[in-house]
Amino acid sequence: MAASTRPIILAILSRGKDYGYSIIQKVKDTSGGHLEWTDGMLYPVLQRMEMDGLIQSQWKLSRENRPRRYYTITEKGCKELASELVSWWNIWQALTRLSAPIPVED
Amino acid sequence: MFDLEKEIRKWKKSFQKYEVSEDGLVADIELHLRDAYNAQRQEGLREEEAFLRAVAQVGTAESIAAEYNKNRIVRLNRRSPLRPGRFMPALVWNYIKTALRAIRRQKGYSLINVSGLAIGLAVCMLIILWVVDEWSFDRFNTKANRIFRVYRDESATQKNSTSVLTPPPMAAALKSDFPEIVKATRFGYWHRQLVTYKDKRFNEPGFRHADPDFFAMFSFPLVKGNPETIFSNPYSVILTEKTAAKYFGEEDPIGKILTVNNSFDVTVTGVIHNESLNSSLEFDLLSPFEILLKESIGEDNADNWGFNSFGTYVMLEPSASAENLNQKLAGYLKKYAEEDTDELVLQPLTDIHLFSNLGHDLHNRGDIKYVWIFSALAVFVLLIACVNFMNLTTARSANRAREVGLRKVVGAGRPQLIRQFFGESILMALFALVIALFLLEFLLPLFNTLSGKQLTSAWRNNPALLLGFIGLSILTGISSGIYPTLFLSSFQPIRILKGTMSPSGANPLFRKALVVFQFSLSVFLIIGTLMISRQLSYMRNIDLGFNREHIIHLSIHGELHEKYGAIRERFLQNPDVLHVTASMSLPTNIQGSPGTPMWEGRPPEAKMEIKADFVDYDYIETFEIPLVEGRSFSREYSTDAETAFIVNEEAVRRMGLEKPAVGKRFGFWSIDGQIIGVMKDAHFQPLHQKIDPLVFKMFPGWLRRMYVKIRSNNVSATLASMRKAWDEMNLGYPFEYRFLDEDFHNLYNNEARLGKIFQSFAALAVFIACLGLFGLASFFAEQRTKEIGIRKVLGSSTAGIVALLNQEFLKCIAAANLVAWPIAYFVLRAWLQKFAYRTDIAIWIFLLSAALGLAVALLTVSLQTLRAARASPADSLKYE
Repeated sequence: MAASTRPIILAILSRGKDYGYSIIQKVKDTSGGHLEWTDGMLYPVLQRMEMDGLIQSQWKLSRENRPRRYYTITEKGCKELASELVSWWNIWQALTRLSAPIPVED
Repeated sequence: MFDLEKEIRKWKKSFQKYEVSEDGLVADIELHLRDAYNAQRQEGLREEEAFLRAVAQVGTAESIAAEYNKNRIVRLNRRSPLRPGRFMPALVWNYIKTALRAIRRQKGYSLINVSGLAIGLAVCMLIILWVVDEWSFDRFNTKANRIFRVYRDESATQKNSTSVLTPPPMAAALKSDFPEIVKATRFGYWHRQLVTYKDKRFNEPGFRHADPDFFAMFSFPLVKGNPETIFSNPYSVILTEKTAAKYFGEEDPIGKILTVNNSFDVTVTGVIHNESLNSSLEFDLLSPFEILLKESIGEDNADNWGFNSFGTYVMLEPSASAENLNQKLAGYLKKYAEEDTDELVLQPLTDIHLFSNLGHDLHNRGDIKYVWIFSALAVFVLLIACVNFMNLTTARSANRAREVGLRKVVGAGRPQLIRQFFGESILMALFALVIALFLLEFLLPLFNTLSGKQLTSAWRNNPALLLGFIGLSILTGISSGIYPTLFLSSFQPIRILKGTMSPSGANPLFRKALVVFQFSLSVFLIIGTLMISRQLSYMRNIDLGFNREHIIHLSIHGELHEKYGAIRERFLQNPDVLHVTASMSLPTNIQGSPGTPMWEGRPPEAKMEIKADFVDYDYIETFEIPLVEGRSFSREYSTDAETAFIVNEEAVRRMGLEKPAVGKRFGFWSIDGQIIGVMKDAHFQPLHQKIDPLVFKMFPGWLRRMYVKIRSNNVSATLASMRKAWDEMNLGYPFEYRFLDEDFHNLYNNEARLGKIFQSFAALAVFIACLGLFGLASFFAEQRTKEIGIRKVLGSSTAGIVALLNQEFLKCIAAANLVAWPIAYFVLRAWLQKFAYRTDIAIWIFLLSAALGLAVALLTVSLQTLRAARASPADSLKYE
């Protein structure tokens, strides 16, 4: 599982509650549609994040009258996301400093 | 025709073989699958195609389950294992209930356990009380650590000889010569004194004399009188409360006049409390030392440095060091008495009672050795009781095994079980403590007669002692519970609950070892008891070499001294009085005299230590001392009172005199004379000592004891007529006499006491050990009920079964003897070394002890085994 998966899920949930299929679609979108693993393997990741207390889940009926497990981010999750952002930022900076400067031309 | 629901059910089944895929988790993924399917359908795919795409998108059950499994392992690792709390209050009541149930279900065993522990604890507590009492001697003095007794080390002239007796001028001289000595007092007595108040007259052996500093040094509380002026008048006296009551009853003693020896008066200036105080200084009446000088020994002796007859005590400055002073004291006596080669040494006041073994000291001192012996014996008895507890508890562990198994199954850890069982054994010990406290009250008077102490129930008001007792019982609970606890808590629940384990399998070797240990202690104590009583009876019945029977003796002091001749004549008028004589010291223990005598042909460097006594005419005849040469002191020779000496054979041998020794020149105490007789060697000292050279010399001025030999018949009539004669002579002193053989008997009171103590402890040890044996025997008999039944059915006799059951125990007892014998042999041999004259260590003592131990054990065990063997086999085999 890619190291970025968990921060991405947190980031998605920080915008509001969401359910599994939708989260996974958004993860796929952000990673440009390339995933080395299948959709089902994200569910253990969500379980693990719930075990760690980063997110919470609740079964609810959706508008289409389907039962769905909605995930919400917890306070601990928010903090985790913040610190993940910091470390990702640091990594980004380190990478940019180490690489040759690339002129921005668009 | 594609059936979506059927396909989904089939798909879900692929998850079933993975234990992690719980329904909830599969439901998540199913929803996902349906969402994905719908999305594919919207893209326009056919049903079947859409489903296959959706399934591929979701992934295989295997890979998803593998991911879930990772989470499961994380969760397992992260969860703290089920661990019961250190202490679960909810279980306390359950613990108490199970403990009480265990006690109730095994009343007999619990009784044995508790009573054994109670006896052991009671004995230990008695010994603690006794040790505390011995230890407390002189410590009531607030300045005890600054007070020292000055004694003489005489080893320059006599090997290992010491003396607590010092001359009158020493206290004052020390005080003025050494600035660090701030107070000093003499403490002593001369004779017993006759004290009269109106019609009350008593001989007072406890009349002592001291200097005024005495009150600044020692902390005897003054009940009446002014401490500042108490000795300002030299003719004053202070009394103990008991003595004051004896003379004055309820009257106020202050200012009353007592007459001493019918010759001088003293005024009571104070009353002192010393009843409950343990003091090495003993007195009933205390007067200034000056009286002693003026009235008894003469004032010219006040600066006589050779008059070594009194105790000297000094008190140092708080900062002064006794060691430094001891060094400074080296050679001090030479300054005042040139020929005195003795050294002075300071002995701490608090050492006097337990650590003192100095010459001329009082005889009723304690002895640290006895403290050790007592303590060791008490611990032995307690240990035996603890062993009972261990043995019975582990033997009965079958009854607790299921409980242990169940507790473990529902989550009890071993530490919890250990705490539970320790709690139980401590509970038992505390229970035993309660009984032991009652026992203690009951045993105190018995113990007092045994130990010669006056212990009281004052411990009840002593929180430190009470806490100590509780501590002792908790310690006992822990030490007796340690093995059962570790054993019980080690049970494996699976084996117990399956029923494959027979929990009586507490290591039988260990249990046997414990029984052997108990009985070797018991046998050791029995051997000790027998051996001590054998030595004692040997000493009391040995032929001393002279006749001590039917001799009474009286003290002659004060005016009696001058009237001795008249009393003697008067007594001799009675035809039942055979001889009357006198001497300075009792023939039970004649002391050595410093210096070496002169004799004919003595090499210049020759030295000889010699015991000496001053005697009167007829001494040899009264005691029927056989003479091997020469004659006794006789009135027919006018020179006998001045220059005649009688020595014993040992003295002749040591001096190397050729026969006949009679007529040879001999001199002592600067008296030049000759030997007129040689006595056969006889025991004038306790049998601890070898017969030493001995010399008798007549010296009328130093006679202190009168001896009257009476006919063996009509003893009471003779005594009555002597009393009548005494009263008629109007001597002014009461007729107080003692039988000499009693004094000889009392010489070995220490040994007699040791014997009694061993006897009591042996009895206790055997009793407690048998209690345990009884419990074990009944347990094993019970365990083998079926076996016994079958044996009987097959034709075994009762006797045969008893023999079978007893066998194991008898082996243990036999082993115990093997352990005890060598130990007893070496210990007793060491003890017997103290006696110059001793019995042999007879083998029959060992055999008898073994037989005794065996007999008692056999009796105990047979009580149980016989019952088991007699039981009808029908009863035991009826079931099953």
